[in-house]
Amino acid sequence: MTRSIGIDLGTSNSVAAVIDADGVPRILTTPEGSTTMPSLVWFSPDGPVVGEAAREGLDHSPDVTIFGAKRLLGRRFDHPEIKKLTRTLPYQLIEAPNGDTWIALSAGKLVSPEEVCALILREIRRMAEAKFGAPVNRAVITIPAWYDAGQRQATKDAAQIAGISVMRLLSEPTAAALGHGAHRGADRKYLVCDLGGGTFDVAAVDVEGGIFEVLATTGDAFLGGDDVDRAVVDNLVRDVRTSRGFDISTDTIAVERLRLAAQRVKHDLSGSAGANLHVPELVQLPSGKGVEYGRPMRRDELELWSAPLIRRLEPPIREALARCGRKTSDVGEILLVGGMTRMPAVRREIGRVMGKEPSEIANPEEVVAIGAALEVARLEGTIEGILLIDVVARGVMMSLGQSECETVIAQSSVVPTREHRVFATRQDDQSRIEFDVWEGESPDPTDNRHLGRYAAVDLPEASSGDVLVMVEVTIDTDGTVRLGATELVSGERLQLEQVFHAGLARSEVARLARQLAEAS
Amino acid sequence: MAAGRTLHVRCPTWDQVEQFYSRKLRKGKLLSMKVPFPATVGSPVTLGLELPNGVTIAIDGHVQKASAIEGETGKTWIEVELVGFNDDVIARIKAMAAGIEKAPGATPAPPPPVAAPAEPANKLPRAKSEELPVDERQLFQHLTAELRRMRSAAVHEVLGVSREATVDEVRRAWMLLVRKLHPDLVARRKAPAITHLAEELTILSNRAYDRLRAALVHEGGAVAVGSHVKAPPGWLVGFDDLSSGDRAQPLKPTGRSAVASVPPPFANTPAVPQAATGGETFETRARAMLGQGDADNAQEVLAAALVVYPRSRPLRSLYYVASAMAALFKGEVMLATSQLETALAHYDQCIEAARLLDHLRRHDPSDQEAMKRVFR
Repeated sequence: MTRSIGIDLGTSNSVAAVIDADGVPRILTTPEGSTTMPSLVWFSPDGPVVGEAAREGLDHSPDVTIFGAKRLLGRRFDHPEIKKLTRTLPYQLIEAPNGDTWIALSAGKLVSPEEVCALILREIRRMAEAKFGAPVNRAVITIPAWYDAGQRQATKDAAQIAGISVMRLLSEPTAAALGHGAHRGADRKYLVCDLGGGTFDVAAVDVEGGIFEVLATTGDAFLGGDDVDRAVVDNLVRDVRTSRGFDISTDTIAVERLRLAAQRVKHDLSGSAGANLHVPELVQLPSGKGVEYGRPMRRDELELWSAPLIRRLEPPIREALARCGRKTSDVGEILLVGGMTRMPAVRREIGRVMGKEPSEIANPEEVVAIGAALEVARLEGTIEGILLIDVVARGVMMSLGQSECETVIAQSSVVPTREHRVFATRQDDQSRIEFDVWEGESPDPTDNRHLGRYAAVDLPEASSGDVLVMVEVTIDTDGTVRLGATELVSGERLQLEQVFHAGLARSEVARLARQLAEAS
Repeated sequence: MAAGRTLHVRCPTWDQVEQFYSRKLRKGKLLSMKVPFPATVGSPVTLGLELPNGVTIAIDGHVQKASAIEGETGKTWIEVELVGFNDDVIARIKAMAAGIEKAPGATPAPPPPVAAPAEPANKLPRAKSEELPVDERQLFQHLTAELRRMRSAAVHEVLGVSREATVDEVRRAWMLLVRKLHPDLVARRKAPAITHLAEELTILSNRAYDRLRAALVHEGGAVAVGSHVKAPPGWLVGFDDLSSGDRAQPLKPTGRSAVASVPPPFANTPAVPQAATGGETFETRARAMLGQGDADNAQEVLAAALVVYPRSRPLRSLYYVASAMAALFKGEVMLATSQLETALAHYDQCIEAARLLDHLRRHDPSDQEAMKRVFR
């Protein structure tokens, strides 16, 4: 019998969970005995190494050790935040032919973020198979609520490459509310804030009689623990320069060691007001002697350095409330999820914005995976009485030629949903109509994310305006976009040709899946 | 869709089937029977007609008359108008009786108004329903009937609320539908056909909810949630609506109060030069005929005019308006809606089409006098 699992595919850590036969959620443990697995892939000379074991790669070959691949998933290379990442990441990013962001490994090998995530997912799958002694090929995977259709598709592609069929893509805040057991308590209006390694998610979720209704979701795609680490590193690099007199800003290995130390000290400072930062060997002198670096750090120092980031928490929260017409006082309970919410300054800031203390969650790292596992059980019918209703985070728009984008599906529409537009030919015997599909809110195409250009082809010969093509846009429960076209006069379904599309091609995904299956 | 009750009629022989529809039904549509539940006039019912070959056909209808039976509490005598019992159904029963159609399946959905063959859409369920156990087959048929009904209904009818419903009523009605129809609720049956139907039904309910909500926001009856879709003409009427993404100048969004802003009828406005290439006299004649309610003749006049002026957009759109009128007189509101929208897709300045659509959305579609006035 095959088994299904719930997976929280995180920016820095991934967690997998199942619901046991007795209805108790269980977190799967890594071979090292930890409940979370670092989302790390080290492309070592002997092949890819995933998880805890890949930490070794961080230490001596950071240029081929990929962390935070989730942030790159389904992203365009010309995105300003990707530009910023290009400057700070120890590994090299490169633009794929279709404008996606890929990773260039040192040997001139290119790898897509989908493949990196696939390796992480396959490791989780192996872990689960070892525990159950049965094949695992279906999963619920959680994703940030603000993920656009391209990123959702990329996540599904990654799963397919790893040999996992996605039962549902579940938004992380919803998973968190579910994992928290919101359906068991009284009906309430929740605000879920999920601050993880790389992403900040906000969702207004109403729970009423077992129905989870997501009213609005917002977030910041590039705000998380990694950014705090980077802010700390920047300050430490400056400190090294002033106190030791040498510039390490271009030394990727030294910066990476500093980043790991900064991460550890950040964790320590969540529990105490002071901690010691220590790097046994920061750089090597030409003589071969190592230079040690260490300094005490105070919590208020950390908070000062991360203040610009903490201030970015407020706008998405306000935006989420505005979209569902709520005031801060309407919210019944605030849930904080994600490792970064352990940081006192984060709790304080969210408490200040909301005018109310957030609830304590015992296991903010695991609650999302538990939610995913509950969703698996729900879809398999082992638990009943829960229904999740989600909305689209971004509108879907269409444009024809040089025209402005026109909204087809509005933001915050309930999924699944479908809308359509009709296009007429403008010339006699016009044989194809090309149109673009966008995700976003603005009439100006450059403000929106381009999902692809499609063409309805082989149109019947007729005079101008006599051929009407109806294009239907369907957003399914996962939030992925499907297109279909019909010629209205004859009623025939039309084949849509992909002129340009973001993400991996279907054939490429299938090829990579085969390749990975053969390798293991 | 207030809980549609299902009535079961079992006919063990084909003779009885024939008797049922030729004798028992009055005027071919009216069925009187005693039912063990209180019924109200206007509530929907579905007749499950079980045929000798084990096939059950779901036929939509609604209660026309209802009176409680004295001495038998909870029982009602009702008269049902089986609106879904059309010639197609009879033809299918006859085909089955003659042994032509052996595969049990759903009643074929009426072809979508403009798109003709319904066959491809039916393939998956048709193949599937053979393996479905009895209760699933019933569920399947119920869902199919429901889908057919919803596809042709206006948004408020999909949700089962009045045209003037408040945002809270709309929400409550939508919530009830989702609780019943969400595909996740039938996922455990592992029946792709049923999941698919449930998904389609949920898509329709969600879309109706979002469209009504957008209309309420437009009127100031609800808080804005997110971005807005510019309401294409007629999107509150039916679902088989069209809007042209290809128009030179976007038509004014028809909000609920848009009628006052619609310019005076076509006859007085000069024809738009770039679109009109002649044929104004035909237009005038056709319009006069439509004003009289003579849709069929108007259609012929326009068809003749289109031979002479094949490129005239006003003529083309008026032709679709005429066929819409013809459909309306037969009570085929859905067909009419799509015809009107096709008219607008051809020529977005067609005021008659815009006004008729608006009329359909706001008023009783059977008010023919009011519709004729559009042309005067």
